[in-house]
Amino acid sequence: MGRYVLQRLLGMLAVMFVVVTIVFVIVRIAPGDPAAVMLGPDATPQDVAALRGRLGLDRPLLVQYAFFLAQLVRGDLGESIFLNQPVLSAIADRAEPTFFLTLFSILIAAVIAIPIGVLSAYKRGSLFDQSATTLAMLAASVPSFWLGLLLIQFFAVRFGLFPVSGYGGPGASFMTRLSHLVLPAFALGIVSSALILRFTRASMLDVLNDDYVRTARSKGMSEFRVVMKHAFKNALIPVLTVIGLTAALLVSGAVVTETVFGLPGVGSLVVSAVLRRDYPIIQGALLVIAALYVLINFLIDMLYLAVDPRVRY
Amino acid sequence: MAAVASNPEQVRFLTLLIRRRTVLVGLMVLLTIACVAILAPVIAPYAPNKLSVVNRLKPPSATFWFGTDEFGRDVLSRTIYAGQLSLLVGVCVVCFASVFGIALGLVAGFFRRLDTPVARFIDAMMAFPDILLAIALVAALGPSLATVIVALGIVYTPRLARIVRASTLVIRELPYVEAARALGVSTWRIMTRHVLRNLVSPILVQATFIFAYAMLAEAGLSFLGLGVSPEVPTWGTMIAAGRQYVGRADWMTLFPGIAIILSVLSLQMVGDGLRDLLDPRFRKDL
Amino acid sequence: MKFIGRALLTGLVALGISPVAAQTPGGVINVATVGEPPTMDPMVSTADLVGIVTQHFYETLFTFDKDWKVTPLLAATMPEITEGGKVYTIKLRRDVTFHDGSPMTADDVVASLKRWMDLASRGKQTASNIDKVEVVDPATVRITLKAPYAPLLALLAFNNSAAVIMPAKKMENPLKEPVGTGPYMLKDRKADQYIQLVRYDGYKPREGAPDGYGGARKPLLDEIRFVPVPDPNTRIEGAISGQFDYVDALPVEAYDRLKGQKATQPVVLKPFGWPVFVMNTKQGVMANVDTRMAARLSLSMEDMLAAAFGSTDFYSLDAAMYPQGYVWHTNAGTEGKYNVADAEKAKALLKKANYDGSPVRILTSRQYEFHYKMAQVAAEYLKQAGFKVDMQVVDWATLTQRRADPAVWDIYITHSPFLPEPALIGQLSESSPGWWSTPARKQAVDAFNAESDPQKRVELWANVQKVMYDETPSIKIGDFNALAAQAPKVEGVVPAPWPYFWNVSIKK
Repeated sequence: MGRYVLQRLLGMLAVMFVVVTIVFVIVRIAPGDPAAVMLGPDATPQDVAALRGRLGLDRPLLVQYAFFLAQLVRGDLGESIFLNQPVLSAIADRAEPTFFLTLFSILIAAVIAIPIGVLSAYKRGSLFDQSATTLAMLAASVPSFWLGLLLIQFFAVRFGLFPVSGYGGPGASFMTRLSHLVLPAFALGIVSSALILRFTRASMLDVLNDDYVRTARSKGMSEFRVVMKHAFKNALIPVLTVIGLTAALLVSGAVVTETVFGLPGVGSLVVSAVLRRDYPIIQGALLVIAALYVLINFLIDMLYLAVDPRVRY
Repeated sequence: MAAVASNPEQVRFLTLLIRRRTVLVGLMVLLTIACVAILAPVIAPYAPNKLSVVNRLKPPSATFWFGTDEFGRDVLSRTIYAGQLSLLVGVCVVCFASVFGIALGLVAGFFRRLDTPVARFIDAMMAFPDILLAIALVAALGPSLATVIVALGIVYTPRLARIVRASTLVIRELPYVEAARALGVSTWRIMTRHVLRNLVSPILVQATFIFAYAMLAEAGLSFLGLGVSPEVPTWGTMIAAGRQYVGRADWMTLFPGIAIILSVLSLQMVGDGLRDLLDPRFRKDL
Repeated sequence: MKFIGRALLTGLVALGISPVAAQTPGGVINVATVGEPPTMDPMVSTADLVGIVTQHFYETLFTFDKDWKVTPLLAATMPEITEGGKVYTIKLRRDVTFHDGSPMTADDVVASLKRWMDLASRGKQTASNIDKVEVVDPATVRITLKAPYAPLLALLAFNNSAAVIMPAKKMENPLKEPVGTGPYMLKDRKADQYIQLVRYDGYKPREGAPDGYGGARKPLLDEIRFVPVPDPNTRIEGAISGQFDYVDALPVEAYDRLKGQKATQPVVLKPFGWPVFVMNTKQGVMANVDTRMAARLSLSMEDMLAAAFGSTDFYSLDAAMYPQGYVWHTNAGTEGKYNVADAEKAKALLKKANYDGSPVRILTSRQYEFHYKMAQVAAEYLKQAGFKVDMQVVDWATLTQRRADPAVWDIYITHSPFLPEPALIGQLSESSPGWWSTPARKQAVDAFNAESDPQKRVELWANVQKVMYDETPSIKIGDFNALAAQAPKVEGVVPAPWPYFWNVSIKK
């Protein structure tokens, strides 16, 4: 088992290394002198030369690459141009809304999808099952920003139940900030419930046909107990995995949703960074998010190992 | 499709496929949308960029079925023309991702020495959330129709590559493939003859979904103002433009929104049906 | 000079009429602005947004009263002007302290003016006319000009690229912490979330009643929060739902949606200003004067304004640089050059100019939705005249950066309020983006700037306008009104092109 953990750890580090390389390449394919692009047209030639020196842009590409890696190892992601702030602290400032938005969207998606998925599997082929599947596909077809616009129009503007945009002013209480997250979390949660529903249904179907469920049934257990206690419990592990993966997918949805709702999260930070040509932010945010994804995947693997002794290599 | 149907087993598969109601409906909706988009110059009542400022923000009527936008342009005509570009983006992204995904997957699956690096590369690419990676690529390449296609193509390439690689790893160990190799059949022939042929179905499924995701992603990018130039009508740019008139001219966002939903939904219906047939775990008629 | 005082307020909401004495201090207001200001240093930026926010904590020596006449602010009185308009002796107020508690002295003022002449675009423009700036005594400074320069006081009073007074010790560039003399001070700034200003308790308002930007400035509110909301629709919705107490720069078409709402009321500023297409005369396609004229003649101002502002309640066709009611109003030089929309004439000019078909790069942003809409209509008309068009839609902050580089654009779109002094109009300066620099410009503008007799200046202005129409350094599209929204509980806001929130309170 120790060998397996070590193997996975090395694999993760290798992937991380490739991630860093990809980010390095993406920023370098930007047309023009990165230093000039980073500083914007207002910069004096001296400023540009100074930054070129600091970034090591006057050196060969491989040396630059080594330089970039060395900087990363020190935990230095550079400085934002527009915000006059280290990239890492800019990202940390924006982490909270993104984190809670992702969390609540998953909760909403799970609350919608899991019961419907279980029931769909149990009543497979029925009208309920068919309409649930179709609805799930419909939900997955709606652009989250479009749904967001509808929700704002209805619940924020017409009924004034939730704020239209932002994340509360200075010193806003947690409840206030929470109220800003309700609509975006629903917009994102509904759209992403489809995948969880599909998987819940599939993995329930799997276990409902397993021997031990049949045995439980034959022993005269109530249907409800069979479904809940035996089948659902066993179907849960794959479902949880999908939820973990959905979390990663949600970061994508969050980019657009945060912008629609004016949430100052990491997603909207990247979007405004692109509009402001703030390359260090784009570079840093890509790195942090991809690294988190790789790390979460690794942790899920390890969790599997701890929970399910059948996973052995 | 003609190539696919060349063997009897696959004919049977297609028959099965068409017999499924959702697939049939999905295919019909999809074909209708495609036809309308392709025949746009014939069908659309007005030119998509015809300004008519006196007619601005007119609600849907007999003259303007979907109403007009803030420049007095006909929303119906724009929705139809936008379909051309939205579908074009989808098709191009699928082609891009298929060509590179298949190549990458085959190389990884077939040449042991290249497997680890390619697999790591695929894993690393998959670590970036799709929209975010697309945004970064568009930022680096500069926004235009072509860069949106390339960016989304790059984003979805690893998804196909992963599937192709996994299947290749299995197929290459099959007895008849090993036998062919033992007989001295060239690697290239084995790949095209045996492996690719077996991969057609899973690739088709994945391509359908990539088509759908690419259309959603293009809409998202355009909505953010990071995609296609805003004066080019795509469903995403139309919604972005209509955003300011929500509550006053809802038709500006409603119709392109429905167009996206319909296309993505029909693609998913087709893809879902395909997958159900191929993967018994999802089969409804178990 | 009778300016827009009369025209500023259309009687939609009775504002600023309530007696100041009845206002109760205290409270917080949330003000939605068009975006995140690129800097807190009003010298280095000409963005209106920077001026709107920073005028609460940085002040200038002079400012404008309600009739747009220059009036003292940090200066004790209007300056003593001697030697035929070449020497300005300025007495300073003695009771002014900076937010850090230190008193404002002549040293701070001289250091600030020098910084302004070094860094600010309007300061650099002024610097060429200035011989020296010196301390006379701790409460007096003297500016000596090389030649009489009439716009000097207006430039010192303007809040845009502003000659604000900073402590001599706290004026590094880029600015670390803004320390000013204003009624409010900067407490906290979270990029893309808010800028929090709190009352400066050591602030001593001038004697007397408020008078436009001048007179007494009383910090009644405890806090002012500027919230960047780049999306115009979100600003409208935020106003309707009551999330913001004051919302700046709304699309005028939102008027109907705001009318009759409980949480907010529309406020119209009429006429507010003029949208303008600025030409890059230095480099690229538009460096040719015939090409520029072709662009001018190809456009339908009427369609552009209608698409951008909807109904004639919110815009009017007007070729003159200043609308009727302004002393500067004249139609000199505009004959047959405004709202022509003649593709054939434009084509003929393009042929004469040997236009090679390279695309016209139009730089615009969506922060101001009407810019973008005019750009779209303009693009169609330009294409009809045979231009190729490459529209570049960027963030406003990016636009202000990019327009500084002559290599990357041909036309950029902006707008301006009707400025109290025509010499402040950006395109008249050789150094502002567009870089209009011709002998005709120099002759007309220099004559206008050197003249101090108001009557003669009006005549000379007509001449400047004529040259602007002959050489097309920019294209004025028309006049438009501005729309803001304000919660009914807020009182004392005087509609102004750069809204300010001193003397403002909340109804209890």
